[in-house]
Amino acid sequence: MIIISEKNLQDFLEKTKKDFDFFDVGSQDGKPSFKKYFFPPEEEIFRLSDSRIGTAKVSKKFILFGLNLPQLEALTQLDEIMEKPNKDYFYFQRRKQSFVIGLVKEKIDVAPGGDIVLEDRGKGQYRVLVNTLKGKNLIKNYNNFFETVDEKKEKIPQIPEGSSLSEWSKSMRQILLDSELLANAVEWSHGHPIWDELAQKCLGCGICTYVCPLCHCFSIEDRVGLDDKCSRCRKWDACTLPNFSKIAGGHSFRPNLKERYYNWFYHKFVRAYREYGKSQCVGCGACKHNCPAKIDIQEVLSVILRDYRSNQ
Amino acid sequence: MDNIYLPQLVKIVNIKEQSPTVKLFRLAPTQRSGLKKSKFETNDNGLVFIPGQFVLVGQIGYGESPFGPSSSPYENKFIEIVVRKAGTVTNYLHSLKKGDVITLRGPYGNGFPLDFIEGKDMVMATGGCGIPPIASLVEYIIKNKEKFGRIYVLYGARSPEEILMKDRIEEWKKEGIKVILTIDKPALGWDGYVGFVTDLIKEIQINEADAVATMCGPGPMMDALEKVLRPLGISDRRIFVSMERKMQCGIGKCQHCTTGSKYVCMDGPVFYYDEIEKNHD
Repeated sequence: MIIISEKNLQDFLEKTKKDFDFFDVGSQDGKPSFKKYFFPPEEEIFRLSDSRIGTAKVSKKFILFGLNLPQLEALTQLDEIMEKPNKDYFYFQRRKQSFVIGLVKEKIDVAPGGDIVLEDRGKGQYRVLVNTLKGKNLIKNYNNFFETVDEKKEKIPQIPEGSSLSEWSKSMRQILLDSELLANAVEWSHGHPIWDELAQKCLGCGICTYVCPLCHCFSIEDRVGLDDKCSRCRKWDACTLPNFSKIAGGHSFRPNLKERYYNWFYHKFVRAYREYGKSQCVGCGACKHNCPAKIDIQEVLSVILRDYRSNQ
Repeated sequence: MDNIYLPQLVKIVNIKEQSPTVKLFRLAPTQRSGLKKSKFETNDNGLVFIPGQFVLVGQIGYGESPFGPSSSPYENKFIEIVVRKAGTVTNYLHSLKKGDVITLRGPYGNGFPLDFIEGKDMVMATGGCGIPPIASLVEYIIKNKEKFGRIYVLYGARSPEEILMKDRIEEWKKEGIKVILTIDKPALGWDGYVGFVTDLIKEIQINEADAVATMCGPGPMMDALEKVLRPLGISDRRIFVSMERKMQCGIGKCQHCTTGSKYVCMDGPVFYYDEIEKNHD
């Protein structure tokens, strides 16, 4: 078993900060997504200069530290989304440049994602789970901070009972376990009065999609600089915004907020299930914590599930 | 790993005015696109694209728009697209002249099921600006004429001036394709049909048991056509519709073109009618 002490961890982080770019995402509940480090809100995809098209360059190596359990799961899922049906060049360039270090307070047998995961055992001790070759090499290069111990001989604190996740997150993750049921229920709910209520409540601002670790809609927009340089960029978009499915000539395929908001749920729980066999939600709570209209995704799903079940 | 968003540069080698608001552009590969050859790549069957697939054409600084090529899929020296002035990109394209260089990505999407339609009677219905993918399908069928039964093209436009690709339509007729045109309202000098494309169905004679319909046109037209085709005996699984949606990435990532659980850019743009009929959008 590989372990690292609190003091060594701090020293290790200080050292890596000198060697790489370093970002600490923090792991408190409801924090906006880490996805921007791999899929930034706006990025250049290529540029035209002297009538030649050149692919934009991607950042230098960096460490992304502190992803909690739902965030690590989200990263693994986002990798799959970006892999299929066509491998996304920019996302994977950044993934290649990154070392992702998770920090979880739950007992885990297998790392759910990232390169290495630190399991907080309390009393200033962390168990280190290595998930990738990249993670293995990182530890090898900084091996003076890590210790390999024999679990049977040395006393390593056991992980404290319970979980660092909020009650909301825990119950949301229970709901997410049956993604087939969710898909059927959300599909069935088209026409349910709850969507009228939500369309009244929702401001259509798109914040839920920006903070979500799995929402990945984007638009492609061109930028023309004063220096005559032109570049094509991609920017985060949100399916709840009015122009999302509007075409030239002015026709919109989802003209009302009600349809757009339903589509947001439809994508997460129905289309995603049909595509990947899984809901595109990890129960992190970011959408709920950041919604200015205080819409709670779990409450919405609970109503839909209740009515779906009683209608079967 | 390749940058999947990178387009190739193409040169406008010809422009033909089709109507006051529509122009046809003939695009050829350029040396500057990095290709040594001045030809588009073809697949194993010698096709540059499958009729019904789309390309994203645009200009850096203006953006990209989806177009279903109208030229013969066997033609590898150029691709033709039909452009109606409707937004930023199309207005820009209309301002261009022969020799100008623009960008092209694709072909993307599935296209019409060429193997399935073989040996069958064909009803190809279209309206307004929906003619390009049908036009390339007609060119494909002409090239493989002995493999097909009776071929009908039903095409409706608002007025005689808005009938696009008139020169090509004349050539199709010479090849034995039965083309029936209709316009929405009576017009001076027009002695053809007046009314909707749906009214033309009674003019066709096909083996209903083994016919296939393909459609590309405004949504209401396609819904109305299905209501006429079904009683004829053409089932929803033999009606292929080409859908229009907002396109951005063209490769199944950005989510703009989704309808229900389908991606128009990847699963489509050609669908069985019943695949998309009940989608919530």
